[in-house]
Amino acid sequence: MKKVLSIILVLTMAVSLFVACGNSNSTAASSQAPASSETPTATIKVAALESAYGTDIWTEVCAAFEAKTGIKVELTTDKNLEDVIGAGMKAGDYPDVVHLATGRPAALTETLIKENGLEDLTDVLSMTVPGESVKVSDKIAGGFTESSLTNPYSDGKTYMAPMFYSPCGLFYNAGLFTEKGWTVPTTWDEMWELGDKAKAEGIALFAYPTAGYFDAFFYALLYEVGGADFFTKATNYAEGIWDTPEAQQAFEIVAKLASYTEKSVPSNANNDNYLKNQQLILDNKALFMPNGTWVTGEMADAPRADGFEWGFTALPAVKEGGDAYSFTWFEQLWVPAAAENKDAAKQFVAYMYSDEAAAIFAKGGAIQPIVGFADTLEGENKMFYGIYDNGAKAALGGFAATDPVEGVNFADTVFGTVNSLVSGDKTVDQWVEAIKADSDLLRAALK
Amino acid sequence: MDRQKGRKAFIALCVSPAVILFTIFMVIPTFNVFKMSLYKWGGYSANKTFVGLKNFETLFKDMKFMQAFQNTILLIVLVSIITFALALIFAGILSREKIKGQNFFRVVFYIPNILSVVIISAIFSAIYDANNGMLNSLLSLFRGAGKEPIYWLGDQKIVIFSLAAAMIWQAIGYYMVMYMASMASIPESLYECANLEGASRIKQFFSITIPLIWTNIRTTLTFFIISSINLSFLFVKAMTSGGPDGSTEVFLSYMYKQAYTNSSYGYGMAIGVVVFLFSFALSAIVNAVTKRELLEF
Repeated sequence: MKKVLSIILVLTMAVSLFVACGNSNSTAASSQAPASSETPTATIKVAALESAYGTDIWTEVCAAFEAKTGIKVELTTDKNLEDVIGAGMKAGDYPDVVHLATGRPAALTETLIKENGLEDLTDVLSMTVPGESVKVSDKIAGGFTESSLTNPYSDGKTYMAPMFYSPCGLFYNAGLFTEKGWTVPTTWDEMWELGDKAKAEGIALFAYPTAGYFDAFFYALLYEVGGADFFTKATNYAEGIWDTPEAQQAFEIVAKLASYTEKSVPSNANNDNYLKNQQLILDNKALFMPNGTWVTGEMADAPRADGFEWGFTALPAVKEGGDAYSFTWFEQLWVPAAAENKDAAKQFVAYMYSDEAAAIFAKGGAIQPIVGFADTLEGENKMFYGIYDNGAKAALGGFAATDPVEGVNFADTVFGTVNSLVSGDKTVDQWVEAIKADSDLLRAALK
Repeated sequence: MDRQKGRKAFIALCVSPAVILFTIFMVIPTFNVFKMSLYKWGGYSANKTFVGLKNFETLFKDMKFMQAFQNTILLIVLVSIITFALALIFAGILSREKIKGQNFFRVVFYIPNILSVVIISAIFSAIYDANNGMLNSLLSLFRGAGKEPIYWLGDQKIVIFSLAAAMIWQAIGYYMVMYMASMASIPESLYECANLEGASRIKQFFSITIPLIWTNIRTTLTFFIISSINLSFLFVKAMTSGGPDGSTEVFLSYMYKQAYTNSSYGYGMAIGVVVFLFSFALSAIVNAVTKRELLEF
């Protein structure tokens, strides 16, 4: 009797195991399915992150794309897009186009880069923009398809299309500067002087939303201390690069800035309380913070000091007459290698650079990196996007993609440690040592 | 004999849905966690590489994991002991003593359980705020104004205790209600007898109440371990994101970071295996240590 029962139990287990196997088989099958031939009535699945720009821009752009090409679009938008599409992707159900930038905690885009899961989009650059007679490559502003943010493997091939860009730099209260008669520093030495002056008035020189915001800051700083060549070497973990005088200078500046930082910043430097740190600028408790142009929208409803007015500047130069850099942060659009309707998806990517699409995006505040488009902007955006016309150079790029190295999270090592520098829990030497150690491990895993 | 057979078949039929569901949703995923921990895999692609026990080798040399391990153990010990003691005392007072507003207190103590962790985190973030939080404002009455504020969530030596306080506040009510339920079933006659014999209230508490709710206490000890591991992840996610600089990283938040942010799914699963074995072992040890002869009434 017992036997019968146990046989049944064993059978159910075996059957359910097969069920599991069946699942994974179908996963493999569908993920290897060849791109089906497109008919004009093809349907593509577009997944876009719902960010500060809202979702209306996406619904409108998709409708305009449908009207232009006849290709149907199934749109998914969500604030936690990874949670929505991630499970499906694991089961082999991939969207055809995904708008999701790198640098998010769930790191879906990075994972696909590391796993070679992105479709090569180089041929999109030579496609004609739907509805126009211009090539895509002629419309995308210079430099945008050359950095490691679009060409992660540094092989000259573009895997991610550059989307909404935003100059990053230091934001401040221009009203306060006028009121006190201070000038915005153009070199770091002037910056420290201003810091001492502000300290006397009970204002801290610096605050940051979260330590993660040091990425744009640090990249621009690397450009300032050593130029483009140095930046490329540093972001590719070149041997001994962190011992060079240039790197040491960058570390010193960050460390000194940490000593000028408002002391309560690390308490709120996390994804839930970072607005409190941004509020420090609005309340005149700190002078500068590193941020991107989206911050004005983010803080639109926040209370502020009398006479508050947003000011924006590139990083001060390291020496008199040196170059000032502003990092250009941009989001990325990509096509998964396992997508089913790749040709239609590529048309959609090309359409993103049409004047029509750019105008729709701009309505929501999202600016496409299209040649000459910044000239058409007005108001606050004109000041922000005009920064490169006012002498600042554009810094583009980021740490090179590697195979995943277990236990090494380089962003945490380089940027996250700033919290400990401010609170005094770690010294600069400990910080640099950790960067060097991780850098060695990552160099070995470079793609 | 035939009847017996039919009976067994019927039982098997009744049990099989549960067995099938349990297998699909518990046994297979657990088995998969163990299996995946032996692979190097990013989580999305088809290229999995078998690496044997290499993930575990890396794990035991990973200082950040050790820090998460330490933090988790500290939280388990601190939260369990303090919650256990307070919940027991409050339960004893509320069920044995006649005090005014008893029902009011029962409700008040239980309220944190109805709130979601995110809301509790928001409340505590506001309380802990360095510049205008309640705690620092209160303390400034004693410390004098104008002193450097205490950075409850910014000072790396304090922040883990700040988290523990929020977790304790959240958990007390739940365990208190559990203890009160079993205290209510202790016959009144035992206490009457003890009163006649001249035993003090404290003596009664330790010699009657605690021995008679011992089975309940043992159950809750296991709960403490499991819920500390699980809840600490939620609190960390909603209050500090593991910061500042990894000082509040716990088991599951580090596992998430490695599995997703660092695209090392296999490594994350190795952490999962360690957490699984650790919580299993700890529960077993606690269970074995607290084994007593069962008292009945």
